[in-house]
Amino acid sequence: MTLLALSLASYLFALWKRPLLYAGLILQVVYIVLRGTELGRLPLVGPHDTIIFLSASIAAFSIPFGFLLKDRKRFFDAVMVLTSVLTVFVMVSGKHNAPLPPVLKTFWFECHVVLAFMSYALFGVAAILGYIYLSSSSPAVTDAGPEGEALNGPRRDSISEGLQYRAALMGYCLFTLSMIFGGIWAYLAWGTYWLWTPKELWTSILWTFYSLYLHARLRNWWLGRPMAYLGIAGFVITMFTYLGVSLLMKSSHSF
Amino acid sequence: MLIIKNITNFFLSLRTTLWLLGFMLALMLAGAVIMPGQNEFQSIHSVPMLEWLQKQPGNITWWLWGSIGLLSVLAVNTLFCSIESLVKKRKVTQWLLLISPQIIHIGFLFILLAHLLSAAGSYQATAVAAEGDMLRISDDAVLRVKEINIRSDPYGYITDWKVGIEYLKDGRLFLTDMIAPNSPSTQMGFNINVKDLRAYPEAVLLQISREPGAVWALAGGILFMTGILALIALKMKMER
Repeated sequence: MTLLALSLASYLFALWKRPLLYAGLILQVVYIVLRGTELGRLPLVGPHDTIIFLSASIAAFSIPFGFLLKDRKRFFDAVMVLTSVLTVFVMVSGKHNAPLPPVLKTFWFECHVVLAFMSYALFGVAAILGYIYLSSSSPAVTDAGPEGEALNGPRRDSISEGLQYRAALMGYCLFTLSMIFGGIWAYLAWGTYWLWTPKELWTSILWTFYSLYLHARLRNWWLGRPMAYLGIAGFVITMFTYLGVSLLMKSSHSF
Repeated sequence: MLIIKNITNFFLSLRTTLWLLGFMLALMLAGAVIMPGQNEFQSIHSVPMLEWLQKQPGNITWWLWGSIGLLSVLAVNTLFCSIESLVKKRKVTQWLLLISPQIIHIGFLFILLAHLLSAAGSYQATAVAAEGDMLRISDDAVLRVKEINIRSDPYGYITDWKVGIEYLKDGRLFLTDMIAPNSPSTQMGFNINVKDLRAYPEAVLLQISREPGAVWALAGGILFMTGILALIALKMKMER
């Protein structure tokens, strides 16, 4: 708990001294490693362990994206607020210390969960980049420049919007991979690669949503503000798929 | 002629894709509201999905029928767009950049086909069995549970298990196999899994299932990922 409190403090103080972001991230990574050592398995079952993994992943993924932005301060501030809120959730949620059911002790499950949360983190980073785009008074002026053109092509007028697309694309890739690994695992464990429960339905909604996002970006009309809004909406769906479904509905993902 | 042209243009349009995906989302969101409150959905895996759908009242399944309809149109739209892209851009030098989105699309179509095959012809049955019990799996084949080994920790949590089974044909043993966590027994096109266990007295809940779409889903998943990874790699290369 001390490590968690210190990581929360680091994230909060990183609002003023940005290098503390690294301290917060390192403390959370140490906490995850210690939890794994204590449990003798990958600590990724239950809200306590998964939310801290999500928080650390958002902090880690934000670093490369942040350094490509001109308006870093607001981006990292938003990241710090999000990771701090998630860390508070970690501190108040109970630990799942019971041994894993044998069916969960497999490479496929571990990959499925790790990839899913890494994709959620990238969708979170994409949402923050959408917020940065929207909150810029004139995105084309504040963000644009020769770098923007080189990175995103001439019709892209903002670095943050281009970066949002990249974060969402990478997240989509990892999310799809996670679904494939989940399907393989489900087939081996239960003889079927897909079960129609609320969790899978919301997973389909999330995947379809980001398919729509990636296709929409091919049309000029959607560029700019509509894409930024879509990126933010995507993370709302992500969080509901992750937390809302697990807390409110019975699903195949309750162990 | 004009009608054919209009239909072709409709299926070639990216705008069609976006509308279809948007409507799909709306239908699935409606389903996400309907599904948790209806007990009928508990039996969705007991029979092939298309058979299940025909037996259920339309007021709780309309969104699923609608989604199947939209997915059918989306499949045609995907096919048309892929073919057009290949024809239009066949002379580009970076053929990997041309082909990778189409590989993703083929992967997607394979996954749709997998779901269609499973929805039409999947099979699932469960039975509780103790050591020595026999279950008929076909007209001439029987499965016998030979042994159940359950390992628990001092707190009573099951840490591992193994179930030995025997297949008998016309009363004669022809194969022995072992079911373990994530390691089913696969025979005669069926997957035999242990869905649940009871330690005292020892018994297992066996599940016999068949998923005709599984191979297509795996192939589709591999194609989809190959395409998407190639696309990302190429985009990164181009940006450098």
